[in-house]
Amino acid sequence: MSDNVYIPKLSKIFEIKEEVTGARAIKTFRTQFVENNGFSHKCGQCAMLSVFGKGESMISISSTPLVKDYLQFSILKTGRVTSALHEMQEGDVIGVRGPYGNNFPLEKWKGKNLIFIGGGIGLAPIWSVLQTALAKKADYGKLSLFYGSRTSQDIVYKEDLKELKNDITVHLSIDQKEKEWEEYVGFVPLNVLDKKPSPKNAVAITCGPPIMIKFVIQNLEALGFKDDQIYTTVENKMKCGIGKCGRCNIGMHYVCKDGPVYSWAELKKLPQEY
Amino acid sequence: MEKILTKKSFPNWIAKLATVQIYAPVVKDDLWSYEVVDAAGITTEYTNAIQSPKKIIFPQRELFLEFSHNDNGSPEIRELLPEDKESIIFGIRPCDAKGVSHMDKVFGGDFEDSYYWKRRNQVTLVGVGCNTPPSPNCFCTSVDGSPFSHEGLDVLLTDMGDNYYVQTFTKKGDKLVNMSKGLFAAPKPKEKADLESLHKDAETKLPRHLKDTKKIPPKLKGLFDSEIWDDESMSCIRCGICTYLCPTCHCFDISDEITSHSPLEGKRVRTWDNCQFPDFTMHSSGHNPRPDKASRLRQRIMHKFQYFVEIYNNYQCVGCGRCISKCPVGIDIIQVLEKVRDHV
Repeated sequence: MSDNVYIPKLSKIFEIKEEVTGARAIKTFRTQFVENNGFSHKCGQCAMLSVFGKGESMISISSTPLVKDYLQFSILKTGRVTSALHEMQEGDVIGVRGPYGNNFPLEKWKGKNLIFIGGGIGLAPIWSVLQTALAKKADYGKLSLFYGSRTSQDIVYKEDLKELKNDITVHLSIDQKEKEWEEYVGFVPLNVLDKKPSPKNAVAITCGPPIMIKFVIQNLEALGFKDDQIYTTVENKMKCGIGKCGRCNIGMHYVCKDGPVYSWAELKKLPQEY
Repeated sequence: MEKILTKKSFPNWIAKLATVQIYAPVVKDDLWSYEVVDAAGITTEYTNAIQSPKKIIFPQRELFLEFSHNDNGSPEIRELLPEDKESIIFGIRPCDAKGVSHMDKVFGGDFEDSYYWKRRNQVTLVGVGCNTPPSPNCFCTSVDGSPFSHEGLDVLLTDMGDNYYVQTFTKKGDKLVNMSKGLFAAPKPKEKADLESLHKDAETKLPRHLKDTKKIPPKLKGLFDSEIWDDESMSCIRCGICTYLCPTCHCFDISDEITSHSPLEGKRVRTWDNCQFPDFTMHSSGHNPRPDKASRLRQRIMHKFQYFVEIYNNYQCVGCGRCISKCPVGIDIIQVLEKVRDHV
């Protein structure tokens, strides 16, 4: 049974945290494999989660690989499977298969300043690599984070972000003015342009809605970042996770297997179909 | 090995083979179709079947696993692999067999597909070459194939008039001949020479041709934003028949089917899916990377003639002509590819 790539491993949800409520609800789940048959992952990789009776959905693993005893997934309630996940309780069992895809080249980035730029639920794929770099802070230069959400109510990892401010520079933003909001008001790409991070010895890692990524990259280029200094993650609809079901491809690349992590230098060469 | 089997001895050989399940072309609802047959139902006189026998190895719907909730409300799952059952596909055309060898590449690699290989390893492919083209839209010789190609085949039969010239290419194929050794004779030099000229002759009879196919993959690279896709997809009605009938198309969906809600019971199934359907790539947010007919036709053509070539160094098209013959609005892949090739 173990060599069948389509068979998920049963995993217990032992902790659920409500990050955001309302129409665009986000919850963070921590899971542990029921049997001793789990896997270890790398930063940026994804896993296929099963709610039996509803189906499967590909979700990025937001916990750092340095944490060995659980996997963390932050999930926006959108479709059939993610809505079913939002109905689940602590103690419920789901299926998990993976890990899938490539990873952020953290080794290659040693000694460099890392600028993380996230929007909305796009902080989740970044979180794993951010936490890993933070744990090995001495290996890297300056770490900083830009994070924006629609409103102050839509911010994920609220408490963690507060704590993070003690360790690294955090630039928060919301799209429109709110009472008592003291940080930047406006879209993430504009916040980046406003704070002008230096491209010198730096790598920028961005994830968020496609339209945000597009303008973040444009603005980073304007600030002098080269194509191989910008990294992003791509997502597409997926079913198999292993490059066979045929729908997540961008040109000859299957995002599930050859992605989701791309430098802008690599992504630029592929057809713009994502 | 190479052997001669007289047409008189043919039924005796088939009777021997029939100890395992045999799929062969039979007329069903007025169309040739690969079905389970008994020895008496087997013929080598048929045009190409409406569907390739791909469905025998990669069924249109197949079970992956069963799930249910135990008394504690926790899910339990049980893997559902295909049964242990050997079979023979008799009379597969060389193009369709080549399609199987392309599918082998997709379902192999870093992640072997257990369901596909369980079926694939238990099936022996006995091909019947094409003395005359079985379809008015055959173009195998334009996509590195031929009417007597043995790629993917265990055994190839050539109709020599009174005899069949039998060639085997694998241990599985040898086994089928060795089961009835007494029925086969060694070919004489003249028969060998006749075989060669018959094969050569057959290659000249193809009804359709695509010239300079090699020029197409590099050409496609520059045509991502071409108007060709809008023009050629205008008449498409998104029925998806082109990919459902294709012997190389492998795209699929995985979904859960529930048979009981309380307690929960159901099955996870794989079904064929189709790149010509809008929701094939649609994100749950509503965003769709291939939002229109043009981008979906482009995907079909580019997958077959650029991406697959880049990954596996083969066209993902074997020239069977089914997508041309059965397209309800007359989209002709040869004509589309000619426009690509000649685009300036």
